[in-house]
Amino acid sequence: MSRMLRRLAVASVCTLMLFAGIAHAQKQGGVLRITHRDNPPSASIHEEATISTDMPFMGVFNNLVVFAPDAKQNRLEAVVPELATSWKYSDDERTLTFQLRDGVKWHDGKPFTAADVKCTWDVVSGKVDGKMRKNPRKTWWFNIKDIAVDNPLQVTFHLNDPQPSFLVMLAGGFSPVYPCHVPAAQMRTHPIGTGPFKFVSFQQNESIKLERNTEYWKPGRPYLDGIEYTIIANRSTAVLALESGKFDMNITGELTPELVKDVQSHVPTMQCVVQPSNTQGNLLINRDRPPFDDAKIRRALGLSIDRKAFSDILSRGVYNIGGAMLAPPEGIWGWTKEFMETVPGYGADVEKSREEGRRIMKELGYGPDKMLQLKVSTRNIPDYRDAAVLLIDHIKNVYIQGELEPLDSSVWYARLLKKDYAVGMNVQGTGVDDPDVMFFENYTCNSERNYTAYCNKDLEVLFRKQSQMKDFEARKQLVWQIDRTLQEDGARPVVFQSQGGTCWWPAVKGLHLAVNSIYNHWRFDDVWLER
Amino acid sequence: MSTTTATGPVTHGLMSTVWYNARRYPLGVAGAIIMIVFVLSAIFATWVAPLDPFSTNAKASLAAPGGTYLMGADMMGRDVFSRLIHGARVSLAVAIGATMIGSGVGAAVGLACGYIGGWFDLLVQRVTEVFQALPLLVMALVITASLGPSLRNTIIAIAIPLIPIVSRVIRSNVLSLREMPYVEAAKATGMSEWRVAIIHVLPNTLAPLIVLATAQLGSTILTEASLSFLGLGVPEPYPSWGRMLSESAAEYVRTAPWLVIYPGLAISLVVFGSNLLGDALRDALDPRQRD
Amino acid sequence: MLSYLIRRLLLMVVTLFGVSVAIFLLLRIVPGNIADILFDSAGLIDPAEKQKIVADLGLDLPLPLQYWQWLNGLLHGDLGFSYVSEKPVIDEILPRIPITARLAALAMIFAVCAGVPLGVISAVRQNTKLDYALRVLSLSGLSMPSFWLGLLILMACVRWFGTIPIYDRAPETFWAWLAMLAIPAASVGFRSSALIMRLTRSSMLEVLRQDFVRTAKSKGLSDTAVTYDHALRNAVLPVITTIGVETAFLFGGLIVTETVFNIPGVARFLVEAIRWRDYPMVQNLVMFIAVVVVSVNLIVDLLYMLVDPRIRYSE
Repeated sequence: MSRMLRRLAVASVCTLMLFAGIAHAQKQGGVLRITHRDNPPSASIHEEATISTDMPFMGVFNNLVVFAPDAKQNRLEAVVPELATSWKYSDDERTLTFQLRDGVKWHDGKPFTAADVKCTWDVVSGKVDGKMRKNPRKTWWFNIKDIAVDNPLQVTFHLNDPQPSFLVMLAGGFSPVYPCHVPAAQMRTHPIGTGPFKFVSFQQNESIKLERNTEYWKPGRPYLDGIEYTIIANRSTAVLALESGKFDMNITGELTPELVKDVQSHVPTMQCVVQPSNTQGNLLINRDRPPFDDAKIRRALGLSIDRKAFSDILSRGVYNIGGAMLAPPEGIWGWTKEFMETVPGYGADVEKSREEGRRIMKELGYGPDKMLQLKVSTRNIPDYRDAAVLLIDHIKNVYIQGELEPLDSSVWYARLLKKDYAVGMNVQGTGVDDPDVMFFENYTCNSERNYTAYCNKDLEVLFRKQSQMKDFEARKQLVWQIDRTLQEDGARPVVFQSQGGTCWWPAVKGLHLAVNSIYNHWRFDDVWLER
Repeated sequence: MSTTTATGPVTHGLMSTVWYNARRYPLGVAGAIIMIVFVLSAIFATWVAPLDPFSTNAKASLAAPGGTYLMGADMMGRDVFSRLIHGARVSLAVAIGATMIGSGVGAAVGLACGYIGGWFDLLVQRVTEVFQALPLLVMALVITASLGPSLRNTIIAIAIPLIPIVSRVIRSNVLSLREMPYVEAAKATGMSEWRVAIIHVLPNTLAPLIVLATAQLGSTILTEASLSFLGLGVPEPYPSWGRMLSESAAEYVRTAPWLVIYPGLAISLVVFGSNLLGDALRDALDPRQRD
Repeated sequence: MLSYLIRRLLLMVVTLFGVSVAIFLLLRIVPGNIADILFDSAGLIDPAEKQKIVADLGLDLPLPLQYWQWLNGLLHGDLGFSYVSEKPVIDEILPRIPITARLAALAMIFAVCAGVPLGVISAVRQNTKLDYALRVLSLSGLSMPSFWLGLLILMACVRWFGTIPIYDRAPETFWAWLAMLAIPAASVGFRSSALIMRLTRSSMLEVLRQDFVRTAKSKGLSDTAVTYDHALRNAVLPVITTIGVETAFLFGGLIVTETVFNIPGVARFLVEAIRWRDYPMVQNLVMFIAVVVVSVNLIVDLLYMLVDPRIRYSE
C-alpha cells in the first residue's frame, strides 16, 4: 500500500515535470479557486509560521531569490534570481552582494529599492523594532552582521561567518521582501507587495481574494486573473466541494493519504500528490524532573515506540521516518536506511526493543503490577491528541501508564515554559529542508522555539561548524552525526514525519510542487487555467 | 389517554401499580427500557464491552463493521462498539451530574426566592433574566472555555444554565403553595417559617421538580454532544459520543460512515428514551399538564 | 399598557447591563488572552514580547477601566476593533448578520409549516396509529443532535447526488439563497417543528374538549369546519410561545449548523472569536444576541396580549 502511494506521488510529480517540459500554449485569464483550511492569524508572512498564511499571500510578494519554479527538490543548486538579478560572494564568503531589478513597483505605485531589502532584514533579524507583533524566524538570521545599501539597486549582506544555506533561507516562501513605507499593522490586514497578485480582501473565516497585478515586472505574467481562497474548516466538506468542481485545488498538504485515495477513486482525472508536509511529531521530555531525570527511563520510553505503527495510522501506511532531518529520498539531509538502523530505538524489531525496555524498567523496580504513572501532555487539537493516544498505548509496553492531559492551545506553551509537564507530544513544521533552519530554530540553547531548553554547548559548536561547510558530502556526514546525537540524547525524540496530500483538477496547468517542502511554490505567476 | 381509564387499579401492591402504569403508558415503558439498558451498560461497561476501548491497532485502522468489530473501528483501530459502551459513562455522568446540580441548586434558589421574597427575590430574578437572555450553548461555551476542558467542568458548565430554568418553576410553585389552606393552617399552629417550608412546601414541589429534571436529562446530553462537537467538551481519552462524532465528521463522512452514524444513533436513542420517560412521568405525576 | 411597556423596557436595560457585566467578567476568567493565542499560532513563547501586545491592546489596564472603555464606546456606537483582523468590529459583524437572520427565519418558517399541520392532524386523530407515529417523530426531532441530522443529510446528498450544498460564495438571487439555505434550515428547524407540533397538539386537544366545540358540533357543523374555525385559531398561541422559547435555543443550533454547512454567519463566528480570545468581538456579539433574545421575548409577550385579550398585565 505504502509503496503504491509513494509511487503514485512520485509518478504524479514526474508527469508534471514532463508537462512542464512540453511547451504548452499558456492561456490568459480565469480565477483559480482554492479551498483553505482555517482562518490565517494574519496576512503578514513574516509574522506567521503557518501554511495558512504562507500559501495564500506568497503570490502578493517577491523574494530576492527563489527556488526555480520547476525544481523538484528545494536545495541550494535550485536557487534562481527574482527581485535580485544576480548575486556575488566576496572571496572570504562573508559578504553577499545583490544587484536588484530596475523598474519594479510596489502595488501602491512606489518604486522598489535596496532600502526595502535592508528594512525587511533589519526587522526580521531583530536589529530594528519594526512594530511586528511577533517574529517567529529571528533565529534564521543569526548570521547577519549588518546590511548596507550601496545604491538604490545594490544591497550587501555582511555575514559573521560563511554560510552556504543563507541563500536557501532567502529563497523560501517565508522570506518575502516587505515595503519599507508600509507599517507592520497594515501588512497584517492589507499587505502590499511587488508580486504577481494584488491583495483584494481578507474576510475572517470566510475568504481571501487576490487579483492580477497588471503592472507585474515579469512580462506577460501572471496568466490568472485572480486567486480566491474559501475557508472550509471541515475536511470532508472541502473534499466534496473540490470534487463537485466548485474549486480547482485544495490548500497544500491538507488531505490525508486516505482522503487522497478517496478523491482519486471518485474523480480518476484528479491530479494528486502525497508528500512529506514538513511536519514532524516529536516528544518533549522534561529532563529536570522525575521520572525523566533518569536517563534509563528516558531510554526505556524511547525503546517502547513503534514508529511504523505511528506512520501506519497517522499517514495511512506511507512510511517515512528519520531523525530531526527529513528522510531521503524526499529530504536532502536525512539518514539513509543503513545509517538509521545503527541508531538505538530505530531498529526494525520493535518487540526486541520493547523487551529491552521492559528489562530496564524491571531493574528499576517497575512491572506489570507496578506501572510508572505519569501524564502525557499535549495540545487539545486532533493531530496532537491522536499522536498522544498512540504514544500512551505504546509506552504501556514498558510498564508506563500514561494519562492524557489535553491542554488548551493558549496554555500549552506557557506550561512548557514553566517546565510543568513530564512528557509532551509536540507537532512542529519546518519552513525549509535545511540543517541551519532545523538546528538553530529548535536546538540551540537560547532559541525561543527550544521548548525543552535542551542545551548542549559541544553540539552547538558542531551546529556552527556544519553551517560553514561548503563541501556538501562532508557537511551531510556531520549533519547525520549531529542528528544521531540529538536522538541519542533524547533531546526531542522524533516519532513520525507527517504526510499530506494536495489535489487539483487537470485544468490547472503549470503547477509545480517540491518534494521536500510545502511552503515555497505558491507564487502562481506561471500557473494557468485551461477550461 | 382515554383508552385505559375504564379499569382502575384493583389492588395497591407495588407490582400491580407498575403493571397498571406500564399499560397506561406504553411509550414510557419503552423509554424506561432504553434508559435501563443505557444505565446498565454504563455501569458495567468494563464487562459489557467486548474489547479494550483504548487499545490501538494499526492493522484494524478504519476496519468496516462486522467480525471482531461489530460497529467497525476508528482511525486508531479502536473498537467503536466498545467505545460507545464506555462513552455511555460520560453521557450518564454528564446527564445525572448536570441535572442533579442544576435542579438541586435551582430548587434551593427557587425555594429561597419564593420564601424570602423582597430584595433577595428581586435580585435573583434579575440574575435569572440575564441568564435567560443568553442562549444555553453560548453560556456553556464560554463557561467551558473559562474552566478548561474536563468531565467535571463540562458538568458544571451545563448545570449552570439549568439553574435559572429550575428556580423559576419552583419559585412560582412555592408562591402558589404558600397560599394553600394547609400551609396557612400549619403556620397558625405556631410552626416556624423554615419548618413549614421544609415539611409542607418542599415535598409538594418534588413532583414538578422530578418532571422538570427528567425533561432536562436529554437536553444535558445534547448540550454535551454539541460542546464536544465544537471541541470544548469532555476530552480524550474518555470516549465521549459527541467527540467521537465530531472528529469522524471532519474526515470520514464518506470513507467510514459508520464512525458518524453509530455515535449519533447512540446519542439520539438515549435522548429519545429519556424524553419518552419524561413524558410519561409528567403525565403520571403532574396531571395538570396532561395532554 | 403604556406603563407596562415602559416597565418592560426599563427591565430590558437592566438585563442587558447585567449581560454586559457577566460576559465581560466571564471572558476575563478564560485562561489565555489574544497574545497567547497569537504567539501560539507561530510557536513562540517569549513572555516579554507577549507583554508588548498586551500593553498595546490595553489589556493590562485595571478591569473596571477596561469595562468602562468598552461600555462608553458601546453607548457612543463605537464597538472597537477586532484583535485578530484589526478591523472595526462593526464591519465584521454587520455583513454576517443577514446570513444568520435568513437561516433562522427560514428555519422558523419550516418549523411552523411542518409543525402546525402535523400537530393538528395528531390531535384530531388522537390515539390512532397515525397519532403515535407523529408523536414518535416529533420526539425523535427533539432527540437528535441537529449537527448529526445535518451530517446525515450531507451523507445522503453525497450518496444520491454526488455533491453537497455548500456555501462557497454569497448567492445573488432570492432563489439561490433559498437553494443554499434550505437544507441547513431544515436540519436546524426540525427541532423547533417538533416542539411546535407537540404544543399545537396538546392545546388543540384542550380546545377540542371544551364546551363550545362540542356545542358547535352538536349544532351540526361539520367536523372539519369546527376543527379549523375554532381550534386552529387557538393554535396560534403555542406557535408564538415556541418562537419566544426557541430563539435562544435556535441560536445554539445555528452555531453547530453553520459549522457543519460552512455558512459564514454570526453564530459560527462567535465560536471562532471565543477560540481566539477576541474580547471586543465576543463581547459585542454576545450583546447583540442578548438584545435579539430580549426583544423577541418582549414582542412575544405583546403579541400574546393582542391574540388573547384575556391576558392582562397588571403585574
